[in-house]
Amino acid sequence: MQTALNVLEAEPVRLLISFGAILFLVLNLAGILTMAERKTAAYIQLRFGPNRVGPRGLLQPAADVVKLFTKENVSPGRSDLWVFLAAPIAMFIPAALVWLVIPFSPNAVVADLNVAILFFVGITSISALGVVMAGYGSRSTFSLLGALRGAAQMISYEVPLILSLLGVVMLTGSLSLVDVVRAQGGGFWHWYFLPQLPMFITFYIAGLAEVKRVPFDLPEGESEIVGGYMVEYSGMTWALIQASEFASMGLMSAINVTLFLGGWQPPFEFLDLGTFNWFWFGLKTALLMFTFQWIRWSLPRLRMDQLMDLGWKVLVPITLIWLFVTAGAMLIFQEVF
Amino acid sequence: MLSEERRTEGTALTRPATGRLVDPDVRDEFGLETIDMNMGPQHPAMHGLLRLILELDGETVVRCDPVMGYLHRSKEKISENRMYPAVIPITDRIDYMNNIAMEYGYCLAVEKLLDVEIPPRADAIRALMNEFGRIMSHIPSIGFLMLELGAFTPILYAFRERERIQSLFEAVTGARMMFHYIRIGGVKADLPEGIPEKMWSYLEGLEQRFEPDFVDLIEGNEIFISRTRGVGKMTPEKAVEMGLTGVPLRCTGVEFDVRKHYPYGWYKNLDFDVITDEAGDVEASYRCRIGEVRQSIRMIKQILENLPEGEVLADLGRRLRPNEGDGIGRVESARGEYAVHVVSDGSDTPYRVHYRTPCTVNMQLLQEIVPGHYLPDIMPIMGLIDPVSGAWDK
Repeated sequence: MQTALNVLEAEPVRLLISFGAILFLVLNLAGILTMAERKTAAYIQLRFGPNRVGPRGLLQPAADVVKLFTKENVSPGRSDLWVFLAAPIAMFIPAALVWLVIPFSPNAVVADLNVAILFFVGITSISALGVVMAGYGSRSTFSLLGALRGAAQMISYEVPLILSLLGVVMLTGSLSLVDVVRAQGGGFWHWYFLPQLPMFITFYIAGLAEVKRVPFDLPEGESEIVGGYMVEYSGMTWALIQASEFASMGLMSAINVTLFLGGWQPPFEFLDLGTFNWFWFGLKTALLMFTFQWIRWSLPRLRMDQLMDLGWKVLVPITLIWLFVTAGAMLIFQEVF
Repeated sequence: MLSEERRTEGTALTRPATGRLVDPDVRDEFGLETIDMNMGPQHPAMHGLLRLILELDGETVVRCDPVMGYLHRSKEKISENRMYPAVIPITDRIDYMNNIAMEYGYCLAVEKLLDVEIPPRADAIRALMNEFGRIMSHIPSIGFLMLELGAFTPILYAFRERERIQSLFEAVTGARMMFHYIRIGGVKADLPEGIPEKMWSYLEGLEQRFEPDFVDLIEGNEIFISRTRGVGKMTPEKAVEMGLTGVPLRCTGVEFDVRKHYPYGWYKNLDFDVITDEAGDVEASYRCRIGEVRQSIRMIKQILENLPEGEVLADLGRRLRPNEGDGIGRVESARGEYAVHVVSDGSDTPYRVHYRTPCTVNMQLLQEIVPGHYLPDIMPIMGLIDPVSGAWDK
């Protein structure tokens, strides 16, 4: 008994189990979010949405997975097959990997890295590579245009995304996400979204662009380039791209909650649930993801030049100005910080 | 990065579509070539089966060649081999978003040929149905425009309205899409009992829903404005020169409406305005359509208020044999001026029928205006023209 527990507590085993748990979570998240997305869309669009498989259609994602698994994997005749097949993996791995550093609750974080924010920034930039690979490997004009748009967009929006993190990093004095959450304890007025409101909004918008959601879904742009970089994918490769999109959407919400909305911290101190504080984390993340979906079904899409204008001419100056404001405030009110 | 000179001279009119699209000699100052792209006919945003051959310089369109003919069904030839009344169902399938106007044009032409008098009640019902048809076509047009800009939701609200009007039409005509309602000499049947009241209550509901669903949510939207303002801009001179009619012409500020300037049927008795806009871009076309839906509601209310009594179908005998000659029927369909030219040789089938559909003419816009725009701007420009596949191919 004792030895069994010791084995469980051993670092490699613990990591293996937690990595398995994260993978389970991320893969299920894709299914749950698809369902949530379709139901939200149906609600907004005067429809019922899926309601045939299982009670109230809740088993629809399972049926979808079965369908996708049994579907033939078609690849274009002229495609660069290795690049074509590796692209979904290159997209999925980074999206799943960053979940390792997310603090779900005080004692539920797989890896409490002291450079977790840096890790997040570094790993998310890899996913742009997957988009380029998918577009290049497909050998289609539509895919190529989608990939070029995707690369330009994701790299451009990384700048405001990273700059908007810096305010929180300055206030906390740490790059560890656990430290960031701990610093926001004691009621919602201690959360960083209040002193860092412009940064919070910038992070939200840049996050939308980073995960390629409406109104920034130009790489997909289904009305002109019909799916963009994923136009040639089918079956499980397509499902993997979708799963990575949903995983990164959940990830962007989770990071946003961790940095600006107090992570696992309850909105009022008397609502502290102790070990079950992951409930608050989950609730806040789910609400943010709902706003992502809400926006998706309400707004039209921007054009590439307008997207670049917004990124470089609006978001970057806002973050830079607020960075100076934060630094100045910290210098003036040194005793508070 | 192409030079300005090439950007303007390289339009489709100067360079017809050939097998080899990208001229290997044409390179810009950096030695880069443009890429060619084949959009359609199997493309979700091509309003049916349109093929665009594009030459792209990055995201900028250098050349745009629309290729028509993928939905050609020999409407004109089939019409020559059918008896006069049997052509009406064929006209139904020309512009399947606005079929009533298609029937109306043909029937007007044959009636000119026969020189018959239409009962006033039939005329009023025709105008009533035609205006409902316009609403039924314009509201989905607004939805399609938004769909092409990337917003998926408005189209479903638009189709809710279309479905409700279709239900009214089903009660009147017996069909939901291919009505075959307007006949030579009148209409197929009188309005059923209770239907005018239902139409009235539907219009009142539509007036309530129209503002919040199709105006308030769209008009002031920053992304909508930035995507449509100044896109597809054209001058009134250019529009007249290209022979545009309908909303693409009126949104440049030219006041031309067949209903007003060459009134036919019951439109002589109706009070309505011709909606024009100065801007001549996609946003202006959206505003024109919104205004025209309001005018249509106004017209239908006028018709319903003074619906004359009497017969709805003139007795023309069983077999129509018009004298030799020809007749032209001009109507304002939802997409522009629709004219039918019927030539008779005295037999019971037309000698020649020509359909002048507005879509075929309005499509010239693509060649003229798209070059110089960005690739995603093609879609709103398509929304400005709002073509229907069946109507441009016939």
